[in-house]
Amino acid sequence: MRENSVFRNRLLPWVLLFPTLVILAVFLYYPALETLRLSLFRANFVFQTSEYAGLRQFADLLKDPAYHQSLFQTLVFSALVVVLGLSASLSLALLANQKVRGARLYRLLLIYPYALSPAIAGTLWLFIFNPEVGVVNQLLESSFGIKPRWLDNPFLAFGLVVFAAVWKNLGYNIAFYLAALQNMPKELLEAAELDGATPFQRFRRVILPLLSPMTFFLVFINITYSFFDTFGLIDILTKGGPVYGNTGITTFLVYRMYLDGFENFRTGVAAAQAVLLLVMVGGITLLQFRTGRRVHYGS
Amino acid sequence: MKRHVLYGILALVFATNALAQSITVEFWHALGDPKRSGWIQQKADAFNKANPNIKVVPAYKGSYPDTLQAAILAARQGKPPALVQIYEVGSQLALDSGIFQPIGAIGGLDYSDYIKPVLNYYTIGGKVNSIPFNSSSPVLYYNKTLAKKAGLDPSVPPTTYGSLLRACAKVAAANLGVKCFGFNLHSWFFEQWMAEQGAPLVNNGNGRKGRATETLLTSTAAKNILNWIKEMNDNGYYTYTGKFEDWDGSDAIFTSQKVVFHVTSTADLGNISEEAKKSGFEMGVSLLPIADGVQRNGVVIGGASVWVTKGITPQQAEAARDFILYMTNTENMAEWHKLTGYYPVRNSSIDLLRKQGWMAEKPYQLVAFGQLLKTQANEATAGALIGPFQQVRRIIEEAIQKVLTGTSVDKALEEAKSRADAAIREYNASVK
Repeated sequence: MRENSVFRNRLLPWVLLFPTLVILAVFLYYPALETLRLSLFRANFVFQTSEYAGLRQFADLLKDPAYHQSLFQTLVFSALVVVLGLSASLSLALLANQKVRGARLYRLLLIYPYALSPAIAGTLWLFIFNPEVGVVNQLLESSFGIKPRWLDNPFLAFGLVVFAAVWKNLGYNIAFYLAALQNMPKELLEAAELDGATPFQRFRRVILPLLSPMTFFLVFINITYSFFDTFGLIDILTKGGPVYGNTGITTFLVYRMYLDGFENFRTGVAAAQAVLLLVMVGGITLLQFRTGRRVHYGS
Repeated sequence: MKRHVLYGILALVFATNALAQSITVEFWHALGDPKRSGWIQQKADAFNKANPNIKVVPAYKGSYPDTLQAAILAARQGKPPALVQIYEVGSQLALDSGIFQPIGAIGGLDYSDYIKPVLNYYTIGGKVNSIPFNSSSPVLYYNKTLAKKAGLDPSVPPTTYGSLLRACAKVAAANLGVKCFGFNLHSWFFEQWMAEQGAPLVNNGNGRKGRATETLLTSTAAKNILNWIKEMNDNGYYTYTGKFEDWDGSDAIFTSQKVVFHVTSTADLGNISEEAKKSGFEMGVSLLPIADGVQRNGVVIGGASVWVTKGITPQQAEAARDFILYMTNTENMAEWHKLTGYYPVRNSSIDLLRKQGWMAEKPYQLVAFGQLLKTQANEATAGALIGPFQQVRRIIEEAIQKVLTGTSVDKALEEAKSRADAAIREYNASVK
C-alpha cells in the first residue's frame, strides 16, 4: 500500500500552493517579520528614524505599571467575557432548544446581536447609557431617583463594557450551542430519563459532558474575541476610559497598542506590544492543543 | 470577463497618458462625510474646468492621523500628494516629518486678507507653513428658556468662572431637575482656557521659539481651570457622558435641555441651533467664560490647514497653491462657513457675509466672529507646538477626569506634568 501516491510530480504541489504562499508571504509573513524587526528599534513613524534598541522597549513595557494594569485588566475582562458569556449563552440555548411555539423566532432574535457591527453596537450602548438623556438613567431616575454616571465611574464602566461585549457575542455562542444540542443523540437522554435521572442530573451528567467539545471550542473563540475583536466596541463606547490608577480601565492591550501605534505615532513601542500579544496568542494556542487531547469527542 | 479587465487596463493606460500632459494635484483630506467632501469635490471640479491643464484630485484618506501617515508613507515612496490637510495637533509632526515645504516658499501669496489670529497659528519661525481651511473655537451656548425659569437674565450671560458658578447656584436653587453646565472631556477646552489667560501650554514660547521640552501644567493658570472644574463638579453643577472627547453625547445633553449652559465648538452653531428649534427652546451664544481677574486674551484657533509637500515639481506646487487659494477665496470661504459653521478665515469673507445679511439672519455668528477678531496675537493664543500632542492631550484629559473623581488638583496636575514631560522627552530623543 502506498499512501502518498496522489502527487507523482514533486513540483506540482508547490505550483498549486504558490498563489496561496505568495498571498501569505505578502500579507502575513512579511508584516509579521517587519513587526518583529521594528520591535527591536526605537522607531518613530514621523521621522522614519530607527535606532537599534535591542530588547529595551520590551524591558520598558514590562516595567511600565500602566502596561501591567492593561494586562491585568485584559485578563480579568477576558475571564469575565468567557465565563459570563458561555454560561449565559448555554442557558439561553437550553431554553431556545425547548419545543415551544415560535421557537424559530426566539432563536432568530437571540442570534441577531451578532449581526450588528461593533460600531453600531457601541453607539447603541453609548446612547442608552448617556447619564442625562439615556433610557437607562431616565428609568432609574423616575423609579429610584438615581442617575449614575456609567462611563466615568471606573467600576460601572468596566462592568458595562463586559456586559456589552458578552451581549455582542451571545448570538454566536448560542448558535453553536444550539447546533450541538440539536445534534445530541436522543437515546442517551432517554436512557438517563428511564434510569430515573432528574432534569438537573441529566444536564450535569449527560448534556454537559456531551457539550464539552463545543464548550472547549467556544472558550478559545471567546478568549480570542475578548482579546482582539472588542476593539471597535471599546473605541466607540469608552475610548479606553475612564482613567483609573495608571491608565484607562478599559484600555486593554489591543487598545493600548492602537493608541501608541496609530494616534501617538510610537511605532517601535507599538510593535513591541504587538510581539508581546503574539507571544500571548501563541501561549493560548499551545494551551488549546495541549488541553484539546483531554476533551472527549465521542466515538 | 478577462477581456473586460484587459480593456479596462488599456483604457486606464490611455487615460493616464492623456493626463500626463496636464498637471495633477492630489489633495488628501480627512473629511469623509458627503456634505464636506462633496463640497471639496465640487470646488475641485469647478477649478479643473476653469484650468484645463490642471487636474485636482481630492481623496478622503481616513482620520487626521491616518491622512498624515498616508502622506508620509507616500512621500517616502517618492509619490507624495501635492496637498494634505493636517490637523492642528499634527502641526509639529508635519514639520518634523520633513515632507512639507512652507507654502510661503512657493511665492505669489498675499496674506493680508487672512484673519490675523488664524494665520498666527500656522506661522512658524516667521514662515507661513500652510493655509487655514477649517477653523473653529469654543463658545458658550445657553438655553435662554431654562435660564429664565431659573430666574437668570438671559441677556447677561456669564463671562467668567465666578459668574458661571453664581448662575449655577441659582439654577440649582430653582430645582428645575436639570444640571447647570456641560462640556465634553476634551483637552482642547483646557488649551483654550490656558490661552484666554495668556498662559502658554509648554515652554520655549509655546514651542514656537524652540522645541518644547517641558509642559507648564502646574502653572497658576492651569490650577485656576481645574479648581473651577472641581468646584463645578463637586457642587453637582457639571455633567458629561464620561467618555473622552464625546462631542455628540454632550451636544445631546444640551439639546435635550438637561443643562442650561454648554461649551462647544463654533462649528456646531448651525446644527445645535436647528436642534434647539426642534426641541423647543431659545438658544443663546456668548463668549467663552474665562478665569476671574484676568484680561481676556482670546482663543487658539483650532481646526486644520492645508500643507504643500516637498517632493513635487514646481509646476505642481504652483498649481497646488492656485487651487488652495481658489478654494479659500472670499466667496468660497463664505459658502464653506454657511455650509459647515467653520470660520471664514478671510476678513473679506466676513464682509461679504455681512453684506449678504447673514449676520442679521444668524445673530449668534457675531459672537463667534467677535471672539476671534478680538483675539490678541501672542504666543499663548498662537497655540502650542508639541510633537506628541495627541499623547499630551490624553494625559490632560485623564488629569481632568481624575479631578472629577476626587483626586486633588495639585496631585492630578503634578502627575500629568511628569507624564507629559516624559512623552515630550521621548519624542525629542528621537528627533535627529
